[in-house]
Amino acid sequence: MATNPPVNEDPVKTAAPRRPGNQAPEMCLACGTCAAGCPLTGQDGFDPRKIVRLVLLEREQELIASDLPWLCTLCGKCEYACPMGINIVNIVRTLRGRVARDKVPGMIHKGVALCRQTGNNLGLPAEDFEFIITDVAEELAAEEEFADFKIAFDKPEANLLHTLHNKLVNTQNEDLVHWWKIFHVAGEDFTIPRENWEGVNWGLFSGDDEAMQLSVGRIVTHMEQLEIQNLMYPE
Amino acid sequence: MQQWYPDFFDRFGTLTVFDLLEDYLASGRIKVDKTAHPQRALYHDPCNYGRKSRELFGRGYFDQPRRVMDQCLAEWTDSQPSRGNQYCCGGGGGTLLTPFKAPRIHYGRRKIDQIKQARAELVVVPCHSCHGQIKALLAAYEVKGVEVKYLWEVVADALIVES
Ligand code: SF4
Ligand code: SF4
Repeated sequence: MATNPPVNEDPVKTAAPRRPGNQAPEMCLACGTCAAGCPLTGQDGFDPRKIVRLVLLEREQELIASDLPWLCTLCGKCEYACPMGINIVNIVRTLRGRVARDKVPGMIHKGVALCRQTGNNLGLPAEDFEFIITDVAEELAAEEEFADFKIAFDKPEANLLHTLHNKLVNTQNEDLVHWWKIFHVAGEDFTIPRENWEGVNWGLFSGDDEAMQLSVGRIVTHMEQLEIQNLMYPE
Repeated sequence: MQQWYPDFFDRFGTLTVFDLLEDYLASGRIKVDKTAHPQRALYHDPCNYGRKSRELFGRGYFDQPRRVMDQCLAEWTDSQPSRGNQYCCGGGGGTLLTPFKAPRIHYGRRKIDQIKQARAELVVVPCHSCHGQIKALLAAYEVKGVEVKYLWEVVADALIVES
């Protein structure tokens, strides 16, 4: 298991993927448009304009050692307004990817590691997952309008593969039923994977491309084996 | 997906939550009743479906959810700003999974301003992170009488079910 990001000698300013227009971060005007639109500017010294500056000066270690990359929500409001098309979001995400994995704050990397092992960010065994889902489905089927409602796990040749946000499986079970109600009324032929049902790719947040590729690959293999026709993009 | 499995899109179909909801509504596979939601509602554009989807895939999902809103809610309004310039709720990018709660709540003050400005009683979001964060914001800023629902929850609750 990869615990640390591969050593990458390239400075962040060249390593961070560019935006579709391929503008180099060096083109930044230091105009501050990004900082003006970002709701986080000023909080604990956060400032997207300064982040771009520091990266251009190759002073990224200061940022990597700080909490700043993790305060940013990668929302892209800065970029959307930037007159020079600078890749601010990918700069921040690349900075995150350079943080030692045991220094990634909170649950993000823990979830990524669990997902690698178990196929979901909670590390929930398949039997427990099946139990929770079946239980909630039975509750729904107890309502008169949804009387014959059932969940099909791993159904071959289903029309639609439905993955789930771990929070619905974990603490917010009551929110599982909204889509199920819609599918039921629409007569949708959907299926849920018994394993690898995780719909959220936390590798996106931690800057871990390899973990992301693994999760996507599992979904593709599953669809190939069962000949499922359509993937519903995770909510 | 494009990057790692370039032929995926030739072999399988992909549907976003908006494609599904719009298709079910347009084809008549589901029918909804907008009197199920008499409250004054506000739509929030999640960064990933709006701005960032536009950036990465050349297509921002701004209009589809609004068409779904039109059909399921009696009265709803847009925030200021909205669409591409929408304020992030403050819960994006995995920040909900970090211990930095105070900055996250501070970040969301703009979202609270928008909700108050719109005099909204219901905030509709098509994103799990936004849902969790906006609920946390309403509690932290002690805003009472505002409900938060998923876009598909709004559809499910407005469904006309023939039993
Ligand atoms: S908006 Fe763009 S050009 Fe202006 S300071 Fe920010 S990154 Fe630089
Ligand atoms: S992506 Fe980060 S820096 Fe840019 S506006 Fe959003 S929070 Fe601010």
